[in-house]
Amino acid sequence: MSTKHAIAAERFLADKEGSVWHNQSIGYARTKRDTMAKGIPEWEQLRKLSSEIKRHTVTHLDYYLEEFSKHAEANGVIVHWAKDANEHNDIVYDILQKHNVKKLVKSKSMLTEECRLNDFLFSKGIDVVETDLGERILQLMGIPPSHIVMPAIHIRREQVGKLFEEKLNTEKGNSDPTYLTRAARMHLRNEFMTADAGMTGGNFGVAATGDVVVCTNEGNADMSTSMPKLHIASIGIEKIIPNYDCLSVFVRLLARSATGQPTTTYTSHFRKARPGGEMHIVLVDNGRSDILGNAEHWETMKCLRCGACMNTCPVYRRSGGYSYTYFIPGPIGINLGMLRSPQQYSDNVSACSLCCSCDNVCPAKVNLSEQIYRWRQSLDSIGKADPMKKAMSKGMTYLFDHPLIYQKSLYLAPLINSMPRFMIYNGLNVWGKGRELPTFAKESFEQMWKKGKLK
Amino acid sequence: MKIGLFVPCYVNALFPEVGVATYKLLKHLDVDVNYPLNQTCCGQPMANAGFEAKAVPLAERFEEMFKDYDYVVAPSASCAAFVKLNYPRLLKGKHFCLSDNKIMDVCEFLHDVLKVKSLPGKFSHKVSLHNSCHGVRELNLSSASELNIPSYSKIKDLLKLVEGITVYEPDHVDECCGFGGMFSVEEPAVSVRMGTDKINNHIATGAEYITGPDSSCLMHMQGIARRTDKEIKFIHVVEILAAGL
Amino acid sequence: MSSKESILSNIRKNICQQFDMPDTEIRGIRYDDTVKQFIETSKTVGGSVEILNGKDDINDVVRRCYPDAKKIASNLPEIKIATVNPDSVDKAQDLNDTDVTVVKGDVGVAENGCIWIPQATKEKAAYFICEYLVIIISQKNIVNNMHEAYKKIEFNDYGFGSFISGPSKTADIEQALVMGAQSARGVTVILTE
Repeated sequence: MSTKHAIAAERFLADKEGSVWHNQSIGYARTKRDTMAKGIPEWEQLRKLSSEIKRHTVTHLDYYLEEFSKHAEANGVIVHWAKDANEHNDIVYDILQKHNVKKLVKSKSMLTEECRLNDFLFSKGIDVVETDLGERILQLMGIPPSHIVMPAIHIRREQVGKLFEEKLNTEKGNSDPTYLTRAARMHLRNEFMTADAGMTGGNFGVAATGDVVVCTNEGNADMSTSMPKLHIASIGIEKIIPNYDCLSVFVRLLARSATGQPTTTYTSHFRKARPGGEMHIVLVDNGRSDILGNAEHWETMKCLRCGACMNTCPVYRRSGGYSYTYFIPGPIGINLGMLRSPQQYSDNVSACSLCCSCDNVCPAKVNLSEQIYRWRQSLDSIGKADPMKKAMSKGMTYLFDHPLIYQKSLYLAPLINSMPRFMIYNGLNVWGKGRELPTFAKESFEQMWKKGKLK
Repeated sequence: MKIGLFVPCYVNALFPEVGVATYKLLKHLDVDVNYPLNQTCCGQPMANAGFEAKAVPLAERFEEMFKDYDYVVAPSASCAAFVKLNYPRLLKGKHFCLSDNKIMDVCEFLHDVLKVKSLPGKFSHKVSLHNSCHGVRELNLSSASELNIPSYSKIKDLLKLVEGITVYEPDHVDECCGFGGMFSVEEPAVSVRMGTDKINNHIATGAEYITGPDSSCLMHMQGIARRTDKEIKFIHVVEILAAGL
Repeated sequence: MSSKESILSNIRKNICQQFDMPDTEIRGIRYDDTVKQFIETSKTVGGSVEILNGKDDINDVVRRCYPDAKKIASNLPEIKIATVNPDSVDKAQDLNDTDVTVVKGDVGVAENGCIWIPQATKEKAAYFICEYLVIIISQKNIVNNMHEAYKKIEFNDYGFGSFISGPSKTADIEQALVMGAQSARGVTVILTE
């Protein structure tokens, strides 16, 4: 009966120490966000404005995409359009091949993760080096990210220490984060120096000017694009925003929501290629234009990919990114996964208690919990409803639509209170896995009322 | 002003004392309150599980049952929120929904409509307030911790009217306890961990009781507390407000 | 049909309803003493701040802050202690092992310590490859918030600019904050009149 998420989450929680630490670490990001939000008097106004700007922009997306590409091309940037992930990967490979690129350094991009770019380029003989520290750690470990902003949040320092001992020849037993970061700095410095091309994603594309805006704390996007002369920037089409007045709203919200910082260290605007270099932008659709046609779910296009929803989600914090079957976890991941393929990713829809906290932290006011509720309604019609829940719902409806039967059952229910434990607490009783059953009252409220005990 | 008392399904079956306390308190406050017979359920469990169509007959029943009342008061924030936010949609095309404008959680009713300024009872205990999710984020019973808005809590305002009480709030003041209706059995491991963490936060305040506006949350936490032999006690807010009646 | 046309036509076909652009004029946070706030925030984000009086020599200040610096990169004429000019290196990689880069910032932002630095040298690597970055900015160019900043920033012909706030940093290992990830491990802001 269990969804894949429920099964994986149980395994995750079996590591008591690790799961407690994961919950606290990510919870800390939420706490820092709160401090930032409370320090900006106009915070709720910013969120409202952000949502309205995004609603306007995505519902005029054709216009803004054309404006963006027109201005980028006027700056000498080469703009490509990719209908899907395969076309994106082909375009990128084509550019790299033309420039004889053997080594590509890249900054973090969930879009390239979505397109599985790295595996594709490896298969073509191109070395791809992730330069975000968290992503590089995961790349060296051969495992995927578990959070869209803090990808290695689930990895302990001792694991990184051991990894670097093996891959970077660091001191045995040294797992001090500063020491390990310095070692990564030296290692990645060498990669930047010897790379043939640099690739970034983009947090925003500004239609009025053709800028690609990349926000990092490490400076790795800037290092990736300051040494090799070829820059490829891949962005999902939903990243386009109208102008700088709008951008100022988003950059004030982004880092505060994502990591609880007033800003990322670097907010870099790429408008032109470097002298003697080339800059390419790949605009990627991969299902986004179809999402616009989904009346119940198009507002996911407002998402800034900040991760705040994951940081507040009590379920994500206690199950970890790997418990989700889609590469993006948490509330936004549940929704994006279902938009990608309801058949394939319905296991994540159980990962929500409908607490609505995500709605309140989302800087773009995506109605995440309402959308998850709506996906739940659709599961039965696509054959993915949980049989136990379906049976329980059917049973409850019957009972509740027949009040006399319901009341009769309440006469009998107190018998359960005195049944032997082995009869109640066994494999069939899922509630009983971690809880005692509540006690049925000897007399229901209605019975008392009917007997005149309350008048 | 005619008030209809709605006693949710699980309150009727498991915590009738909550319904009793609600009735007694409203009567004490001179409210013309009645309990129409044959009540069952608002439909929330089925809807949140993904079968909202199954809630439609229950919504129709509810509308019919309470059609002659000015307010419908329920000692359950989540049930009140469910009716308020979903019934108009569930009944669309069938008839014009009236219940969404009438339904109120009892704390909301006491605070906003009756504007209660004094209560007769005494409850000389330390309590930790459980801010149930739907109460906070859908009914605005208190300011959600995520938002930058002036801080308020209707439940705390009411509890402070009871003599002798000390009210605490836990860390992670409005984080979900993990019940979530059928979530509790579809994701039992996560649900129990969430509940355990929540109980521990409540216990850390030094309180003797955990109290809140939703028996479903209390039931879930109580189940965990009993299984793990934790001594903390559980009581619905309305039972405290009706103390001595 | 090209991919561009296909994507655009799919968008047009699918949009359910449209929304107008809201009024984006928003009163962002303002401070009683904007420069004082900027100094405080610059320190919070991990930078240091030096205030330059009329008669101070900027070269002395840089020397004092970084006495061990051997390779100093700058194309600013007033930085006499520069040992390398990023305008005249053959390639960006030649700037590796730069101890200190000295640049000018155009707009400083009090709410987050950001300083807008439009690329003003042939090799922008100078801003990122150094161990320490020194940014000179006039107190007159400090604004309250990013709304004000974005109305003022300009680019040079290089077509690149960056808001830089403090040193590069990461918390990717167990959320432990480490200054100096891939770029500058320290930043000194020199505030002129």
